[in-house]
Amino acid sequence: MRKITQKPEVLAPAGTLEKLKTAIIYGADAVFIGGNQYGLRSRAGNFTYDEMREGVEFAKKYNAKVYVAANMVTHEGDTEGAGEFFQTLRDIGISAVIVSDPALIEICATEAPGLPIHLSTQASATNYETLNFWHTEGLERVVLAREVSMEEIKEIRQKTDVEIEAFIHGAMCISYSGRCTLSNHMADRDANRGGCSQSCRWKYGLFEMPFPDERNSVLGGDPEEDFSMSAVDMSMIRHIPDLVENGIDSLKIEGRMKSIHYVSTVSNVYRQAIDAYCNDPDNYEFKQEWEDELWKVAQRELSVGFYYGTPTEDEQLFGKRRKIPAYAFIGQVLAYDEETGIATIQQRNLFSIGDEIEFYGPGFTHLHQTVEALWDEDGNPIDRAPNAMMTVKMKVDAPVKPFDMMRKRK
Amino acid sequence: MIELITTAESVDQAKLLVSAGVDTLYIGEEQFGLRLPIAFSQDELQEITAFAHAHQKRVCVAVNALMHNDMIEKVVPYLAFLQTVGVDSITVGDPGVIHLMKKHDITIPYVYDAQTLVTSARQVNFWAKRGAVGAVLAREIPFEELKAIGSQVTVPVEVLVYGATCIHHSKRPLLENYFNFTKETVPSEDLYISEPKKPDTHYSIFEDSHGTHVFATNDLNLLPHLASLVEAGITQWKLDGIFTRGNNFVEIVRLFIEAKRALAGDGWTTALQESLNERVIALHPKERTLDTGFFLKDPNNVK
Repeated sequence: MRKITQKPEVLAPAGTLEKLKTAIIYGADAVFIGGNQYGLRSRAGNFTYDEMREGVEFAKKYNAKVYVAANMVTHEGDTEGAGEFFQTLRDIGISAVIVSDPALIEICATEAPGLPIHLSTQASATNYETLNFWHTEGLERVVLAREVSMEEIKEIRQKTDVEIEAFIHGAMCISYSGRCTLSNHMADRDANRGGCSQSCRWKYGLFEMPFPDERNSVLGGDPEEDFSMSAVDMSMIRHIPDLVENGIDSLKIEGRMKSIHYVSTVSNVYRQAIDAYCNDPDNYEFKQEWEDELWKVAQRELSVGFYYGTPTEDEQLFGKRRKIPAYAFIGQVLAYDEETGIATIQQRNLFSIGDEIEFYGPGFTHLHQTVEALWDEDGNPIDRAPNAMMTVKMKVDAPVKPFDMMRKRK
Repeated sequence: MIELITTAESVDQAKLLVSAGVDTLYIGEEQFGLRLPIAFSQDELQEITAFAHAHQKRVCVAVNALMHNDMIEKVVPYLAFLQTVGVDSITVGDPGVIHLMKKHDITIPYVYDAQTLVTSARQVNFWAKRGAVGAVLAREIPFEELKAIGSQVTVPVEVLVYGATCIHHSKRPLLENYFNFTKETVPSEDLYISEPKKPDTHYSIFEDSHGTHVFATNDLNLLPHLASLVEAGITQWKLDGIFTRGNNFVEIVRLFIEAKRALAGDGWTTALQESLNERVIALHPKERTLDTGFFLKDPNNVK
């Protein structure tokens, strides 16, 4: 039986230490996080050095890696302290930094030798000679632009030795990443320094003439539809064989701003699918339950980006939105008592007796049940768990484990 | 020392601009150059280069597209052609092209032009160490930062002093997608989008083989600030005629040539600056508006 031993890495986002641990427990081979500086998510959870140390230590136990995104496009003054920053990351045991700015690349290479550099997707690498350029510069890996097709990846793989990383799931820029300053011009927030206002997703007027008193709207449709440039999200779950067979080294899930519910679910699904394919590629079958699971944490419709052609109007958010089955993340299992069949749960959202709920856990385990009995921390029976982060005890129909999550349909 | 660099929309206009005193023509063809007023044929590129050289002027060819695999293969014969023609420089935004030039021993001097991504002196110097003879700065850089850049770069940097600013480049056909959704045909007229909360805004938008391009609501005019640029040591000035057509563009270029000459001597006065600026405004297309872009912004207010 054919088996694939060179499995691609599943790379998950981690906005916080808790998400880092969750992603790894749910099967990610590596996570990417942000530091307090030089990143593109000034409004996202970012890690202090101490948190990074704890994250790296945790990851080591699972043989997982931690990368730090420092993918800002710097202006004068922004690189101050960057050398020390990279040295600290290297000494903490960060496995690589994800950078797009050549000034930061140079600082990292000269002042923190030994810390591998990955070229960020912000640099829009779209051909094999660009990858060869960066390989010659000493970079270990290039994250491809999201505009690269599967056919192109195949050719890039044949013509380069540098590691290739590609996005397989999550939200996308509709522009070439980095080549958009709508936010700078419309909101005075620098898109390439972590301030992106997502102006592409706004609803615009569209006209034949520039000025209001003389122009005619060319907005069309029935009813009239505003112009917008809003991309649906990406999911490559139906194309795991292509991703593996074309030699992509790392499969990236977008979303450092996303919830623990999202991180655990998406990591879990891709871990399952990639393992299933690599263990027996010739008898591999896509499972609908994987895609159904991804829909439980989807925020927008899903598409395959540029992998199999240029995205059409169907891959943009026009018209009535399709109803996405939304699930609420309601709790996380802290402990389970085998004798009594009672789980200790940290509440994350309201749930009550009578709710139809679902537990899921690493390894794609699922347990559906109705909430039948609840107690507070002191053992008093309760009807509902109303307080954020409160600890509750609950009777469960089958064994659960710490880090299992609980969700219910909204 | 001031170098005026302009686009051209026809062979005739290119010749007029050279005769008027432009230092460098910035031209190219459709496949490898981005957002040019017109795509010239190879014969035309050759003719314009010969004409410019006969007048001791230079030609810079746009090779600044984001290249996919198919293009990175075709760019080699194109570069060889440009080398044979003897163009003076090219713009490059894709490091793959730099890699290829080295590999194929193509020695045309290149100016690094990755649009929004060129924002600091250290970046420019990175590309200079890899052979760039200059760089085109992003449009989102306030004067305070331009000064800092001007004092630290090891090769000259170019800024836009007149014309439109591209602020969004998507590979997707965003207009075609929209009109497919609404089941209407794409209008042939020039199109503008307006912000939801600012209905007076009018961002130009168009599609070509590279995808969709959106431009800032106001075109840039730095004529009143040219002396500051000289002071900052930034003296490669581009005028982009993509939305300013015909003779008006040539006339505007002439005003900047006059400014250049006055700045090079000691004829630069407030009166001259004001008079030239008024004439630029008068010649600027009526359907478009002007401002100073990010030039006067406080760096701390755009983060």
